[in-house]
Amino acid sequence: MGGIKRLDFELLEELLEGIEKPGRYIGKEIGTKSKDPRKIKNLKEMVFMALVFPDIYEVGMSNLGLQILYDIVNGNKNFSVERVFSPWVDFEEKLRKRRVKIFSLENRIFLDSFDLIGFTIQHEMLYTNTLNVMDLGGINIHSKQRGEDSPLICAGGSAVVNPQPISKFMDFFVIGDGEEIVTNILEKVRLYKKNDKGKSWFLKEINRLDGIYVPDFYKFYYYQNGLIKDFKPRVKVKKAVVRKLDKFRVITDPIIPNIRVVHDRFIVEIMRGCWRSCRFCQAGIIYRPVRKREVKSLIRKSIKGIKNTGYDEISFLSLSSSDYGEIENLVGGVTGSLKSKRLSISMPSLRLNSASLGFLELIQSGRKTGLTFAPEAGTQRMRDVINKNIKEDEMLECIKLAFGRGWEKIKLYFMIGLPFENEDDIRGIVELVEKIINAARNEIPKRKLKRLKINISINAFCPKPFTPFQWVGIESPESLKRKFDFILSNIPRRYVNIKWSDPWRSLVECALSKGSGLLCDVIEDAWRNGAKFDNWSDFFNYEIWKNAFENSGVDIGLFTTRNFTVDEILPWDVIDIRVRKKSLLKEYEKSKKYV
Amino acid sequence: MSDVVIRFKFYKKDGLKYLSHLDIARMIIRALNRAGFNLIYSQGYNPRPKVSFSNPTPLGLESLAEYGDVFIEGDVGEEDFKKRINMELRREIQVTEAGKVQGKADSLMSRIDIGLYSFTLDTGVSVREQQEKLYKEVAGLIKKSDFSDSIFKIRQEALKEAPNIILLKLFGYAKIFKGKGNSIFKFNNFYQFLKELLGKYGIKVKDVKKEELFVIKGDELKTPVEII
Repeated sequence: MGGIKRLDFELLEELLEGIEKPGRYIGKEIGTKSKDPRKIKNLKEMVFMALVFPDIYEVGMSNLGLQILYDIVNGNKNFSVERVFSPWVDFEEKLRKRRVKIFSLENRIFLDSFDLIGFTIQHEMLYTNTLNVMDLGGINIHSKQRGEDSPLICAGGSAVVNPQPISKFMDFFVIGDGEEIVTNILEKVRLYKKNDKGKSWFLKEINRLDGIYVPDFYKFYYYQNGLIKDFKPRVKVKKAVVRKLDKFRVITDPIIPNIRVVHDRFIVEIMRGCWRSCRFCQAGIIYRPVRKREVKSLIRKSIKGIKNTGYDEISFLSLSSSDYGEIENLVGGVTGSLKSKRLSISMPSLRLNSASLGFLELIQSGRKTGLTFAPEAGTQRMRDVINKNIKEDEMLECIKLAFGRGWEKIKLYFMIGLPFENEDDIRGIVELVEKIINAARNEIPKRKLKRLKINISINAFCPKPFTPFQWVGIESPESLKRKFDFILSNIPRRYVNIKWSDPWRSLVECALSKGSGLLCDVIEDAWRNGAKFDNWSDFFNYEIWKNAFENSGVDIGLFTTRNFTVDEILPWDVIDIRVRKKSLLKEYEKSKKYV
Repeated sequence: MSDVVIRFKFYKKDGLKYLSHLDIARMIIRALNRAGFNLIYSQGYNPRPKVSFSNPTPLGLESLAEYGDVFIEGDVGEEDFKKRINMELRREIQVTEAGKVQGKADSLMSRIDIGLYSFTLDTGVSVREQQEKLYKEVAGLIKKSDFSDSIFKIRQEALKEAPNIILLKLFGYAKIFKGKGNSIFKFNNFYQFLKELLGKYGIKVKDVKKEELFVIKGDELKTPVEII
C-alpha cells in the first residue's frame, strides 16, 4: 500500500490505439460514485477497494450485484470502491506488451494500489480470468506468497459457495449476501490500514463474522485416492443472510454504461430466493430464504429509476417472477404512472400458463417478441424426478393459445444427462417439439406458418454443490453427445433452430463446481497454459484442461462422472448454506421414487 | 400544442471521444429522457424516438461538430433545450448550439456535404521560409495522392505565437456529387497515410479534430444550424 498510483490519460490514449470497443476502458459514465484520491487529504484514513468482475465490461455491467455493492461502499464516507473488468484479448496483449498494469475505470488506479480487491465470481468458468486479472495487476496469485504490502484479496458471488477450487489464491471468501457484511469487512480494513496491523490480525478479526471463510485457518487431509479424509477445525462457516431486502435501498441512480451492454436497462430486484425446489437448481438453495421487496415502494422506486436513468426498459429481477404475488399490481402501478413514456418491461423467469398470457401481452405492449418455456425434460416422469413443476398439457394449452393470439416465436430450454434418464426421456424431447409444431399447424394461418420459429437450447446437466443432486456424477461427454446426436437427427428440421452446449466444457465446469482444494493446481496450470474466457466457446480448449489435470496428477473423474457417496466428506462441507445436508439427501431419495 | 424539431450541435472530447456513433446516440436519447422532454416516436412495429444524427465520426477522433435533430412534443425554447440537456450530460459531451428547424427537416445525414478536419502539426522548424516550403511539399503530395478526389480544399494557418506549428485545415467530401467524379473522404485511411507521409519529414501530429460540417449553398459553405 505504498500510495496510490494511477495511469495517466496520455498513456491510456496510446494504449487504446487500434483497440476494439475502447469505450470498455474509459469509465466516465453517469452514476459513478467513487472518491477522487487526488482530492483526499489523508489517504490513510480512506479505504480504497477494487471491485473486480472477471469478465468483459458488457457482461459485468449487466450484473445487479455489482451495482449494489458499489452503491453501498461508495455511500460510506470512509470507503471508496472502483470497478475493474477483464480486458478483452486485444487490450490484454497491449497491456502485457507495454508492461502496464491493469487499472480501475473511475480514476485509473493500478490494481495493486488498492487496499482490498474483491472479486465477484458468478460462475466457475471465470476462475482462470480471476487469476489473469490478478496477474495483469502485478499481484502474486498465491495468497501465501503475498506480503504485507500486497492488497488483501477476497472473492464472493454464487460460484464460491464451494470455495475450495480457488482457496489457494484468496485471502478470504465471502459466502452469501454481501450487503451487510461488506461494510463490516471494510471497517476492519480501515483499522488494519490506519493502525498498520498485520494481515493475520485482520484475518482473525473478520473470521468472527458470519459468511467469512479464511482458507488459511483450515487444514484438509486427503486419502491416497484424493478423497477428503478430514478437515480441521470442524467448524462450519455460516452463509451471510440479509433478513430484509427493504433494509437496503433500491438503486435508482445506477451507473449507466456508455456502451451497449448485455442487459441495457433499468434493473430492480423484486424478490430473492425461490421456493420451487427444483432438484438441479443451485440458485434455489443458495439464495434462500425467500425475501420480497414491498410492492408500493417498488412501484415508487421503479418510476424514480426510469426518470433518473432515461432508460426505456425496466427489468423486474427474481428467480421466479410469477411467484412474487403482487406482480400484476407492480407492473400496472409502474406502467400506469408512466403512461406517456414508452416503456418495455422484461421479466426473466416468468412462468407462463394460459392465465398469465394476457398479462404478458400487456407487458410486451402488443409486441409479440417470443415466449420462453423451460420444461427442462422431455417426459413427465423426468420432470417429476427433477421436481420441475410444469405439466405438459398445460404448457401445450398455453402455447396453442399463444399461437392463436399471434405469437410466432417459442424458445424452449432442456437439459440432457439428468439423473435416472433413459431413452424415452430423450425421445420425449423430440415428441414434445413435434406436438408444438402440430399445434402451430392447427392454430397459425397457413400463410403465416413460415414465420414460425422454435428455438431449442439443450444443456448438459451439471450437478452443483448444495443441491439434492450434488452427489450425482455428470454423464460422460461421449454419452451426452450420443444423446444430442439422436435429438438432432430425429427432431423436425423445419421451423426448428437447435443449440447445445459443449459437453466437454460441462465436464470441466462440473470439476470446477464440485472440486476440492486439489483443483487449485489444475486451474493454475490451465491458466498458465492460456486458458481464459472459458465460458466463451471460441476460447474454451479442452486440451488445455485435460493436460492441466494430467500435469497436476488429479483424476478429473473424481469430481465429475463419479457418484459421490452419501457418507463421504464433500469439499464444500466446510460451508453451512443454512439448508441441512439431511434435507438435501431426503430430496435426493424422493427423486428415486420415479425411477 | 405544436411539435418542434430541434437541431443541436455538440462536441465530444477527452475520454468520451472513444464512444461510437450508436453509443452516443443512445446516450443522447437517455439524456433527453432524463431532462424530461417528451420525444416523438416513429410509427410501426418497433417504435423508436425520432432522433437523427450527422455522419459518424471515427472512434477516438475528437469532434467539435456533431449534429442531431430531435422531434419533441410541445414547444421547447432553444436556450431551455440547451440548458436542460447539458445538465444531463458529462462535461466531455455538451451541446453548444440549438435551433428550431423551420419547415420540413431533411435527414441531417443526407444534407451534409463537407467535413472540416484540422491537424495541428509540429514541424520542429521555426524559420518562416522553411516552414512554408515544408507545407507546400506536404500539401502537394496530399493533392497528388489517392485522396485528392475526396478533398474539397486544403489550406494552412500559421500560428504567430508558435512558429513551429502549422494548422492544416482539410475540407473533405461527405458525399458523392453527381457528375463531379469525387469520392467520400475517409478519415481513418487518410490519417494513416498522412502520418506516414509526415514521418518522412520528421513532422509530428500534435492534435487532430473534426471541426465543422458544412452544406454547400450556392458559393457558400453554411453550417447545419445556419440553414434551418
